[in-house]
Amino acid sequence: MLDEPARILIAAALCWINFVAIDVFFNLPASGGVCGATAIAQEVEKGGGNLHGGFMLGNIVSSPDASAGTLLAACGVYCAGLPGGLFAALLVYIGNRICYDPGYAGTTGAITATFIVFGMTQIGFAASDFIAGMVIAILTIQGISHVHSSRLIARLWDLRNRLLGVNP
Amino acid sequence: MIAIYLCAVIAVYAALRIITERNTMRKLPFLNVISFAVTAIIALLVPHPLTILAAAAFFVGSTFESNAIASTWSGGMKRNG
Repeated sequence: MLDEPARILIAAALCWINFVAIDVFFNLPASGGVCGATAIAQEVEKGGGNLHGGFMLGNIVSSPDASAGTLLAACGVYCAGLPGGLFAALLVYIGNRICYDPGYAGTTGAITATFIVFGMTQIGFAASDFIAGMVIAILTIQGISHVHSSRLIARLWDLRNRLLGVNP
Repeated sequence: MIAIYLCAVIAVYAALRIITERNTMRKLPFLNVISFAVTAIIALLVPHPLTILAAAAFFVGSTFESNAIASTWSGGMKRNG
């Protein structure tokens, strides 16, 4: 089977696809959920980034979204198997309600991540690979360059709107 | 075993980025990376079914704090009436 660094990189790619696809599908880049998220988006735009990508960065900071769902689901599967992952989804939903968020993106992300992580543990991956993978995935969006990550998210959001035939 | 060291290195990197970033609002996404890394380290250090409660409580709490800092810094909640 693969070495741990290779497994972590594959897990990071899967986590990235899972949380970015769900966040963009649930329209997080459309607007700031709270005034703090909007303020972060405006500062990212002032720094040379994209406003809609900034909204998603702000929303990730302000409320547990699909990225938090993926991380906590991986932690849940690591600590208690499949039931642990589903319990993590419930905790993410409660966290969303505390942060004035409807909770669809976070809960959906946690449930899909639970099944992805549990499925991958059946074919030789460890749940700890997905925990580290999700930290790498969030680093690429929130921790390297807000200018580039916000532009990438805006491009993916445009693609989503074109595919669904929606005018933002 | 590499996983936990990787999370620790990422947390320290994000802390250095917070120190070097001048703009307060743009510090918050880096703070979010630290929350992710610390939540991951809690789960990796203590593999027990109850750990998931501790990790989720820490993560939701830190997110709520970031939410409060960002909202206060941007002028506070807009209230009706």
